[in-house]
Amino acid sequence: MTTDRPRSTLVRNVLLGLTVLGGAGAAAVYASEGPARFWANWLVWTLFLLTLGLGNLFLVALERLVGAHWSVPMRRVPERLASLIPLAIPLLLVALLALPVLFPWTYEEAKHNPILVAKTPWLNVPFFVIRLAICAGAWLLFYRFYVRGSLRQDESKDPAYTVRARKLAPFFMVVFFFTVTIVAFDWISGLEPEWYSDMFGVYLFAGTFVSGIAAMTLGVLGLIRRGRLPEVKDKHYYNLGTLGLAFTVFYSYIGFAQYMLIWYANLPEEVVWFKHRIEGAWYPVALSLTVFNFFLPFFLLIGSVGKKSPRLLRIAMLSILLGHFVDLYWLIFPALGAGPLLGWPELVMACLFLGLGFLQIRRAMSRGADMPVGDPLLARGLEWQL
Amino acid sequence: MPNPTFAVLGLFSDAQKIVDAADKIRPRKLGRLEAYTPYPVHGLDRALGLAPSSLGKLVLGMGLLGAFLALVFEGWVSAVDYPLVTGGKALFSWQAFVPVMFEVTVLFATFTAGLAMLFAFNKLPFFGHPVLHSRAIEDITRDKLALSIESTGDDFDTEAAKQALLVEGAESVEIVPVPTWDRPLSLVGLLRTGAAIAAACVVSGLGIYAAIKVVPIVPPMLKMHDQPKLNAFRSSSFFADSRGMRPAVAGTVARGHLPPAFTAPEEAGALLSNPLPLTQHTAERGRKVYNDHCAICHGPVGDGVAQLSHAYGAKPKNLLSNEMRGRPDGYIYGVLVRGKNAMPSYAPDLDENDRWAAVHYVRILQRSQNAKDEDLR
Repeated sequence: MTTDRPRSTLVRNVLLGLTVLGGAGAAAVYASEGPARFWANWLVWTLFLLTLGLGNLFLVALERLVGAHWSVPMRRVPERLASLIPLAIPLLLVALLALPVLFPWTYEEAKHNPILVAKTPWLNVPFFVIRLAICAGAWLLFYRFYVRGSLRQDESKDPAYTVRARKLAPFFMVVFFFTVTIVAFDWISGLEPEWYSDMFGVYLFAGTFVSGIAAMTLGVLGLIRRGRLPEVKDKHYYNLGTLGLAFTVFYSYIGFAQYMLIWYANLPEEVVWFKHRIEGAWYPVALSLTVFNFFLPFFLLIGSVGKKSPRLLRIAMLSILLGHFVDLYWLIFPALGAGPLLGWPELVMACLFLGLGFLQIRRAMSRGADMPVGDPLLARGLEWQL
Repeated sequence: MPNPTFAVLGLFSDAQKIVDAADKIRPRKLGRLEAYTPYPVHGLDRALGLAPSSLGKLVLGMGLLGAFLALVFEGWVSAVDYPLVTGGKALFSWQAFVPVMFEVTVLFATFTAGLAMLFAFNKLPFFGHPVLHSRAIEDITRDKLALSIESTGDDFDTEAAKQALLVEGAESVEIVPVPTWDRPLSLVGLLRTGAAIAAACVVSGLGIYAAIKVVPIVPPMLKMHDQPKLNAFRSSSFFADSRGMRPAVAGTVARGHLPPAFTAPEEAGALLSNPLPLTQHTAERGRKVYNDHCAICHGPVGDGVAQLSHAYGAKPKNLLSNEMRGRPDGYIYGVLVRGKNAMPSYAPDLDENDRWAAVHYVRILQRSQNAKDEDLR
């Protein structure tokens, strides 16, 4: 790290500049384009960062739960990417200001809408804030336990921590499942509160998981290219490709099943949600989702070549990551009632959040070794054969 | 004297060791390399010098073919061969086809994978592989991995192969001889097998027949027959009146069959007039109704002379009589609905429009037999 210090400072300054520029631009968006567009952008990016962080924390806990060895040498990458959670939580708290702007159940008219009145036990501001606080608290607790604990183990080499981490993993799974469902229902389907879909929580979970794998794989490949993970071989990231393939299919399955059931039943209050999202200018966006999230990664990853070639693996994972972002955009922006919006406001907001995200990841990168050197399973993970 | 060795087997317990050994021995070209392992070992195919298997591409291709065929078949069935609108959806609704496309993809892919692997790539059926008769086979099917150098001809050096395996770390080495039989399959053997299968089929078939019919120890499968449901014409203990078919609730009126608001036809004559305008279509309809229901007694022209009048000795009304010509439309309608003398009510058979169309047709018949001057012009 010491040798490329000047370059490192340069990158940090560029990111800082990008963030400041984006921040100023975001203020201009709020002033000139109105709060709705500003908050829609804010929500898309906050949820993008949050789901990446949660997806990676899930991968960490999943490794603990099933007792995997192969992923131990790469585990520091998802642990660092999980640091997007403490970044996304304040952003999500700020997004509470979007409630009166974007969420129709907070409007004055909602009091005269019998459907929304019937939903007030769930959709009311105090309970909404309580739910957010509980979710955020749970995420931070598990983040501290899994990420900070693992960093401490670098020095202490305490094998008891590995046992504790495994014992806590099932509880994380339950908490993760409920909190992701709450995020999906509160922050996304709450934008159109008359619509509902039981599968929506699982849909967001699938996107969270698969984009978590994509971000982790890109991180691992990037570190290998920089020579910082010399002992991680293709046999290790081969499995990331396999997981990516499996959960691309899972995501597509959930997405299509949700669409097909609603299409088949053809109930007015349900189909209108899809009608807004697959008609007119949104149609190419919906089509691009199938390409980014299914066709491209599926056919790249189905053979063993695609899972072992860093180049093909990178293309597939970038496609998944882009697909997840477009997915969130496609879920949230149609609630504004307009066609796909893409202009300077989206660009400057992207600058702001990309800058924040990368700064946070860089900060996390500076902590601890590149591999969990204190983990007693590390040696077995390095020896591990496909 | 030909070399009696089929192959030399070297046993290993570590997957990495067998891959390394294969890597070292392959360039020496001692014989054809083959491996027998209880589980798939990554990298061994490359170490043995095998070309990349085309099975994956075959499976992918067949899977895509399955998806395509399912799409074409479903599209043809639903939109071309038997176009039937279901649930208000378009005839060609790809959304509804996707689950079947998925299933057919999986079907084609798995069958291709299984059958191509067994018959095309592994060349099965292959009876009596020499390695199956080795001492090592028990270990190979349990926890050991075997690297085998197979003889390629008379110049095969058994001793060199054995040494090479030992040098590369084989825990034990076994020489597998060439099998002594020459033809594992003979015509007699095949016929015997066929006869045994046929005999087994006959015996088991007779046994099942006897168990069901002759000595009924196995009750025949009657689950569909014995379902707990109400039969229309059977008594049932479910309802208090023991009837399976439920009578309609008192006061029930079928659609389009509101009871008439009059009792006598004379009353109807004063009350009602024909609401149906006389058109070509109404007249055609009236003729059909009349010929189907009325002509059998009142006669094809309405003069009351018809097939049945002779058989029964009844005297159906002459519809062309002066009396009938003087009756209002409502009266004819009333007779049709309520019946008169021997004539029963036709209300259950005819809906409102059919009844009035028949009245129109009776008027047409009357006019045809009592034409006015201007009708003839």
